[in-house]
Amino acid sequence: MAEFSKQLERLEAIVRRLESEDLDLDEALKLFEEGVERLRVAREQLSQAELKVKKVLEIESPS
Amino acid sequence: MGARLDLFSAASTEGAWTVGEVTKRARAVIEAGLPPLWVRGEIAGFKAWRSGHWYFSLRDKSAQLRCVMFAKQNFMLPAPSDGMQVFVFARPSMYEEKGEFQLTVMELLSTDQGGLWKLAFEKAKAALTRDGLLDPAKKRRLPPFPRRIAVVTSPDGAALRDIQAVIGRRWPIAELIVVPAQVQGAKAEASVCSALNRISRLSVDVVVVARGGGSVEDLWAFNSERVARAVAAMPMPVISAIGHETDVTLCDLVADLRAATPSAAAEAATPDKADVRITCDVLGQRLARALRIASKHVVERLDRTGDRLVSSMQNRIERSGALLTAHGARLDALSPLKVLGRGYALARDADGQILKRVAQLPSGKEFRLRVTDGEVNGRVQ
Repeated sequence: MAEFSKQLERLEAIVRRLESEDLDLDEALKLFEEGVERLRVAREQLSQAELKVKKVLEIESPS
Repeated sequence: MGARLDLFSAASTEGAWTVGEVTKRARAVIEAGLPPLWVRGEIAGFKAWRSGHWYFSLRDKSAQLRCVMFAKQNFMLPAPSDGMQVFVFARPSMYEEKGEFQLTVMELLSTDQGGLWKLAFEKAKAALTRDGLLDPAKKRRLPPFPRRIAVVTSPDGAALRDIQAVIGRRWPIAELIVVPAQVQGAKAEASVCSALNRISRLSVDVVVVARGGGSVEDLWAFNSERVARAVAAMPMPVISAIGHETDVTLCDLVADLRAATPSAAAEAATPDKADVRITCDVLGQRLARALRIASKHVVERLDRTGDRLVSSMQNRIERSGALLTAHGARLDALSPLKVLGRGYALARDADGQILKRVAQLPSGKEFRLRVTDGEVNGRVQ
């Protein structure tokens, strides 16, 4: 799964592009579909409830 | 009298004390007669040995005392320097091997400029400033949506519990990597540096270095120049939350962000998923609206193109019509029929040749006469 920040960045870029450019319907639809998919994944990531905690054991300093 | 004689008898070599016996006895007398006490004086001849033990003299105008402060007593203390006015809490004793009267120092306080801690802090701070490590321009921005957050703290302290609770509530999407470290005591400095060193080799977006409140000695590791330099050298942003709000350590100063408490550090490190959800909703709405607008643009463009097509055809047709009318009029004007309409007539012979001259029309010549509404036969008389 892509990193959340990348997901959101790409989504923002898609929305901005859709909003600002005069696009072919074909291209607009393609962007829209990608946007919807990224939004779905982002929401799915947000629904994760449990924090994963990993403990890295201390290594004694050589000094 | 007898005592005097006894003294003389004691002067005989028989029954002489050994050196060791004297120093041992002297030590016992000193230690029994002089309890641990506070002494005030100026430091002279300070020397720190590799073993960690400190040797120096305490002096005033008229006298001086040899002092030793063992490593286990001084390990958390910044070293004093000669000329410094100090108080020591010390046990008077005898260093038997050298036969020297000395103070075994258990505590050392400086009366100069806020004490040893302050002096050491300022010295280290000056070194860090000189190397540009406290430059505000060096502070890095924290990642808005961290994926992996590392925490350097005591594995069983309240700080870790607080951090875990806050991140679990705000941003459970992240992975929390706990790197336990000793945050106080003789090994704290090395332990914190080693933990940071480990993290620097991991793929981590942000680091939190945290420790609950404590005395200046407790926070000592976070005022060490070595720890401060390790924090500054981290490849990712570091948030420092050491002690209470009023304690500012070198670690805090070097870090990219200083938080007042471990919980505040965890908050600074993470977005709130409720806010992010709203951001996602807004983006979803904008996405849908943008598509509507984009498709509307396309439809409008199509409409415009259609209109242009139709109107250009119309223009063409209209232009053709006008041309036709004009041509018709011109044709009409040139038509002989039109001339006939005005009352002229056209005479032709049997072969259809037009008879324009008198010579062509001898007497008895038959011809056909074309008038506006038809033809009649005629003969010249």
